Amino acid sequence: MQPLEGIRVADFTWVWAGPFCTLQLAHLGAEVIRIESGNRTCVTRLLPPWPDGTPGVNRSGYYNQYNQGKLSLALDLKRPEAIVVAKDLIARSDVVCENFAAGVMERMGLGYDTVRQVKPDVIMISLSGYGATGPESEFVSYGPAQVPLSGMSSLTGYAGWPPMHVGISYGDPTGGLHGAVAVLAALLHRARTGEGQYIDLSQQETSIAVLGDAIAGQSWNGIQPARNGNRDPHMAPHGVFRCNGEQRWVAIAARDDDDWRRLADAMGRPELATEPRFATLSARQAHEDELEAMLREWTAARAAEDVVRLLQDAGVPAFVSMSNSDLSLDAHLQETGFFVSLDHPEVGRRQHAGIPWRLTGTPCAVRRAAPCLGEHTDDVLRRILGYDDARIDALRRDGVLV
Amino acid sequence: MGSALNGIRVLECGELVSAAYATKLLADLGADVIKIEPPGGDRARRHGPFPRDVSHPEHSGLFVYLNTNKRGVTLDLTQARGRALFDRLAASADLVVHNIPPPLMSAHGIEYERLAALNPGLVVTSITPFGLSGPHRDYAFTDLTLWNAGGVAYLNGGGPGTDDLPPLRAYGPQSEYQGALNGAIASLAALFARLRTGRGQHVVVSIQECLVAILELTFEFFPYMGLVASRLGVKPIQPLDFFECRDGWIFICCVEEHQWQRFVELMGSPEWAAMELFENRLSRAANWDALKLLLQEWTKEQSVAELYMAAQHRRIPFAPVSTMGDLLASEHLQARGFFALVSQPGMPAVHVPGAPYRFSATPWELRSPAPRLGEHTADVLAGVGVSAGELGVLKREGIV
Repeated sequence: MQPLEGIRVADFTWVWAGPFCTLQLAHLGAEVIRIESGNRTCVTRLLPPWPDGTPGVNRSGYYNQYNQGKLSLALDLKRPEAIVVAKDLIARSDVVCENFAAGVMERMGLGYDTVRQVKPDVIMISLSGYGATGPESEFVSYGPAQVPLSGMSSLTGYAGWPPMHVGISYGDPTGGLHGAVAVLAALLHRARTGEGQYIDLSQQETSIAVLGDAIAGQSWNGIQPARNGNRDPHMAPHGVFRCNGEQRWVAIAARDDDDWRRLADAMGRPELATEPRFATLSARQAHEDELEAMLREWTAARAAEDVVRLLQDAGVPAFVSMSNSDLSLDAHLQETGFFVSLDHPEVGRRQHAGIPWRLTGTPCAVRRAAPCLGEHTDDVLRRILGYDDARIDALRRDGVLV
Repeated sequence: MGSALNGIRVLECGELVSAAYATKLLADLGADVIKIEPPGGDRARRHGPFPRDVSHPEHSGLFVYLNTNKRGVTLDLTQARGRALFDRLAASADLVVHNIPPPLMSAHGIEYERLAALNPGLVVTSITPFGLSGPHRDYAFTDLTLWNAGGVAYLNGGGPGTDDLPPLRAYGPQSEYQGALNGAIASLAALFARLRTGRGQHVVVSIQECLVAILELTFEFFPYMGLVASRLGVKPIQPLDFFECRDGWIFICCVEEHQWQRFVELMGSPEWAAMELFENRLSRAANWDALKLLLQEWTKEQSVAELYMAAQHRRIPFAPVSTMGDLLASEHLQARGFFALVSQPGMPAVHVPGAPYRFSATPWELRSPAPRLGEHTADVLAGVGVSAGELGVLKREGIV
């Protein structure tokens, strides 16, 4: 039995944040039905990577990664007949998720007030860039822009450089995961009381939630930490150092003086541990440029894997800065069963990131590859909504099921 | 109005962020969370920030933020008597969440089988760097090494031509926040499963895996196309970059053709914008060096707030590069009542992020500030049969 077996999710989400929220529910065994339309194709179906570089709405590694385990129902929500179908689905669902701009669901006749008439105990969550209320709630929000909006960029960057990004649209997964926490809490509440509810999640707010200490510092002292590259206020040395080879780097951090002593030993320079310039954290920070130069010289001659092995043997935190190919081929990740390779009708068997937690009593597994667009339209209409062939044919003839 | 997680009893052990944020999410939605710290206190108490930069274990901004709504107990879990008391607490708990490193789990009494024998309904969630199996299980780690182990750092840095600059971390122990969020999800799921099975279970989170799971579209470039994704790659579409204004920085995000057209109008349709070099988003990316200079000339005369409003009113998704001060002053966030004020005796009141979501029936609530060190030890231990006399002995022996 999987934790959310028997729970059904009417999934109106798209792009990354919303689908990442519903992906967690799919991982937990819920039946997640994405409502999609070829007339308004989810942008992740249109982005690379594609096998052989050949585009196709069912060929995207991006869509296929974040929609594993879900079903796809093709519905053109601009059509009133489609809204009827959507309501029929909601009537048989436990959870409704959406991440349209504020007001879109209401204008389609699928706002919470309507939805709860169809299913009184439904749990509905709206994830949006700025939240459902407030003077900026109608602003346009794109994933990459959320990182600077939330304050993360002002805190991130090489020392002396301008604000920088973090490499991914970080606000999306953070928002999606907070959304999954919220849905699960609401499911527990409903199990106890029978009561559903509406959840308004602002991705700006969930992104700020992971910067709480910096907000506190500003609140008290009117300042925020200066951008300082890979350095850290509590640890030195602490950085990423170049190794032998093409773009091979290793992250190294000495948590305390003991780690520093073991690191100096491993470098063949035990005397550095007690040298006044480096003996304490504050001394090391006062001479951090020199410290890093020494480390750089030591790592530059070595393979990243050798540096990691030497340092981990000495109990010092170190790890290769992993690229996607490093991760794909990593022995540890393969051995622990993290990756998933399932058959997909258009791209075949491809390696995907799986579920990052293990529930030993009610094991979870990705049960199917991501769906092709509309792949489960007939199944959903027949099996879940009880429509007969005539009704389905009529909808199809009228161009509703696209 | 009840709370969503009323009646759920949680024990938290470990230090810093990942277990603390996971149980903060639960506490803030009504769960009864007891935070167990070593007698010297969670390391987060020494991290700050502090009011006026004066270090004080009860006034660490990180600790105060992460531990609202929890009760606090001190227990030395490395001692047998401490572990025995932990067992008594675990016997009547629903959930244990911890981030004690795998090599130290047993020495701290975190042994799932043993705890399950005491309390078959108990869920134990271990937030670990690399899981509890595999060759890297016992690796030493910090947030920096995990952010790199998970592949996120490799994607971030100075862009084309900056081969000598290292992969760059994000601010803050983000790997710990990702572990916390996944830990909360998996814990709640296990509690939901228990409604039907009547049994608890061991939940194991691998932070490295949590990060590999959020690499956006980049991971799949290798399995799908044999391509390595890195921070040195040229962006395929522009504009999507940072620009300095006269009073701060703005992020110009303008990737649809219609958005670009409206931006050009906003700039007063300068002649250079009509050049073939910049006619679509691919050519704008291909000629980004030139375009960036032209845009910089224009933005440095603008004010961030005015440009942000002007763009958004034209449905162009620009965003300010917000500072913490900008966020605290934001009319939008104030209208939403997002920031919460935490007050406790002897500490200057402080604003911290409040509810990360709004529940219509069971709202997030700030009921109490973070616990003082050992504030609830006497009460909580009295609840499992420890008398005042015994407590005195435990204190003298450094168990609490």
